[in-house]
Amino acid sequence: MQFIENLRLAITSLLANKMRALLTMLGIIIGISAVIMITTIGTSIQKTMTKTFNSLGNFNIIAVYLYTDEDVYMTDDDMITREMLDELVEKYPEHFSLDLQDNLGSATVRNEKGQIITMNVTGVMDVEPASDHRRGRTISYQDNRELKNSIYVSDLFVKQYFGEAVDPLGKEITLTFENGISGDFTIIGYDKLPAMYLKSYSPGTKEIDKVTPVSIPLDSGLNLFHREPEGEWYAQVRYNPDYDVKMQEQELQEFFDEKYAEKPGISVQLENMQTYLGMMDTVINVVTIAISVIAAISLIVGGVGVMNIMLVSITERTKEIGVRKALGAQNSSIRMQFVVEAIMICLIGGIIGIVLGIVGGMLIGWLAKILVTEFYSEYAELISITIQPSVPAIIIAVAFSILTGVFFGYYPANKAAKMNPIDALRYD
Amino acid sequence: MSKTVISMRNIIKRYYIGQPNELQILNGIDLDVTEGEFLAIVGQSGSGKSTLMNMIGALDRPTEGTYFLNGQDISTLDDAELSRIRNKEIGFVFQTFNLISRTDAIRNVELPMMYAGVPRKERIRRAEELLEIVGMADRADHQPNELSGGQKQRVAIARAMANKPSIMLADEPTGALDSRTGRMIMDLFHKLHKEEGTTIVLITHSPELAEECDRIVTISDGSIIHDTGVRTNAVH
Repeated sequence: MQFIENLRLAITSLLANKMRALLTMLGIIIGISAVIMITTIGTSIQKTMTKTFNSLGNFNIIAVYLYTDEDVYMTDDDMITREMLDELVEKYPEHFSLDLQDNLGSATVRNEKGQIITMNVTGVMDVEPASDHRRGRTISYQDNRELKNSIYVSDLFVKQYFGEAVDPLGKEITLTFENGISGDFTIIGYDKLPAMYLKSYSPGTKEIDKVTPVSIPLDSGLNLFHREPEGEWYAQVRYNPDYDVKMQEQELQEFFDEKYAEKPGISVQLENMQTYLGMMDTVINVVTIAISVIAAISLIVGGVGVMNIMLVSITERTKEIGVRKALGAQNSSIRMQFVVEAIMICLIGGIIGIVLGIVGGMLIGWLAKILVTEFYSEYAELISITIQPSVPAIIIAVAFSILTGVFFGYYPANKAAKMNPIDALRYD
Repeated sequence: MSKTVISMRNIIKRYYIGQPNELQILNGIDLDVTEGEFLAIVGQSGSGKSTLMNMIGALDRPTEGTYFLNGQDISTLDDAELSRIRNKEIGFVFQTFNLISRTDAIRNVELPMMYAGVPRKERIRRAEELLEIVGMADRADHQPNELSGGQKQRVAIARAMANKPSIMLADEPTGALDSRTGRMIMDLFHKLHKEEGTTIVLITHSPELAEECDRIVTISDGSIIHDTGVRTNAVH
C-alpha cells in the first residue's frame, strides 16, 4: 500500500526534475546499453557461426583415426578397412553412416550438339542434402552397396548438357574418364551450384567450358576402375543426432577397441567436430563476458552519480522529510521512499539502456550484413547472419539496475531516515 | 469529568549537556491540559515556547521530568514509538503550512493515515470528509502551489485532524497570513473546538490571539510565569 504511494512519489519527483533525472540516468543507460550491445553481438556471432557451419554441411561427424605409440610403425594391414566400416554400419544401421569420399579425377561427356563438357568426379558414400534448391535425391549408401551407376550433377551441367527446358532426372549419360574407361550413369538428382563456385571462373569463360562437379557412388567408381577400397588410418563416421551422442561415441570406441585389441601399440581415437564448435562457443562466451564486465564498470560510475543526486535530493527536501516525520512517518518509511526513488532512476535508466543496447546491437548486425553482401558477396549466401539479443543478459541487466539502485540509494536514504525531525523542520 | 490529555511534571530540557556552553531551556515545567481545552501558550521569542511545543508534540524528549500524554509516559519512548505517538496523538499545524509539494490537497490529508496504515478507500473517504469540514472539498485535487496561503492552512488543519489526534498543536498558524485570512483560520479553530470538541494548543506571541482562547499560559525564560486557568469569559 505504502509501496504504491512510494512509486507515485518517486515518479512525481523524477518528473519534477526531468533533465536532472535523465542526466543522472545517463551513466546507467550507457553502462547497461554497452553490456546489452556486447552480449547481443556475442550471441549473434555464436548463432551465425552455428547456423553457417550447419548449412555448410553436416557437423554430426566423428573423426576416427589411428594413433600409434612412438616405436610402433603402422603397416597397410593395420589400416581401418572398408570391411570394418561396413560392419559398423551393419551393426548400428540406425546410428552410423559413412562419410567417405575420393576424387576419381575428371571425366568428359558430349552433349547432343557434340560439345565436350568436362566434370570433376567425386566418389561418395552418401551425401546429406545441403541446399533448398536440390531436385531428385542424393547418392546413398544403398547405391554403393548395390554398385548403382547413379550420378548427382549440378544445375550448370543440366544447362550445359540439355539446355534449360528439360527435366534431367532419370536421363542416362556416358562418362569417359581420364584413364579411358567409360561408363553409363543415370542422373538421380542435381543441385544449384553455390555462387562462390561460379565466381572462381575468370570472367568471359564460356559456360560450356566451365568444369562442373558431380558425384557418383564411391564403390561404383572403384568397381568401374577395378580398384579395391583402400585402408585408411583416418575415417569419418556420421552419427545420428536424434540419438544420444555420448552413447554413440561409446559404441564407436568399443567397436574399434575390439578391432584393434590384437594390435599392441595402436589405439583408436575419436574426435567429434561438434566439440570444436562448442569450444569456439566457449571462447566467444568468455570474450563477451570479459568485455561486458569492463562495460559494467561504467555502471559503478553511474551508481555513484545516482548516489550523488540522491544526496542532493534529500538535502533539498529536508523540510519535507521533517514534515513527514512530524506527521508520524517511521524512519523505515522515509528510507523506503528514497530507496524506491533511487531504484526507479536505475530501473528506468536500465530499461532505456536495454532498448538502446538491443537497437545498437541490431544496427551493428545489420551493418555487418551489408558489409558481407557488399564486399564478400560470394560468401553472402553461405553466411546467414542471425541477430539475437541475449535474453539472460537482459534479465541480469534489469536485476543489476535494481541492485545498483538499492546499493547506491541506501546510504542517502538512510541519511534521510536518521534526520532529527526538529532540525529537519527548521531547515530552510 | 473530563480526562487529562497532557500531564507534565517538572520538565527540564538542557542542550550541550556536559559542555562549557551547556544551556537549560526549560526550567521545570508543570502543565496539565484537559480534553476539549483551547489553550494558548504565549511568550517572547527565546522564552522556550518552541522547545515546549517540540516536547508536547513528541518531537523531542525532556532531559528530566515526566510527560504523560493520554495516560502514556512518553519521556522514555524510542524514535519509532515517538513516530507512532506523533502519528496517532498529535496533529501539527505549522506557521508555514508545510504541505508536501507536488502532492495534491487530498493526498496531503491522506498522508498521516497512510503512515498509520489505514486502507486506501477508508483514507479517501475520511480525507474528503475532512476537506468538507474545513471548506476545501472543491480544491481536493489542487496542488499546494495552486492554493492561497489561507487555503493551504485549511488543508493543513484537515491533515492535522486526519487520525483524530488527542491534541491539535498549532505553531503560529496565522503568522504567515494577512489579518483577514488569519481571522478566518482562527474562526476555523473555534469551529473545530466547538463542533468537534478538538483539544487545541495554540503557540503564539500575539496577546490578541491568546485572548480568544479558554486558557492562557505565559512562558518566560523557560518557566511558566502565568496561567489563567480555564476561563468561561473568553473574548470569542
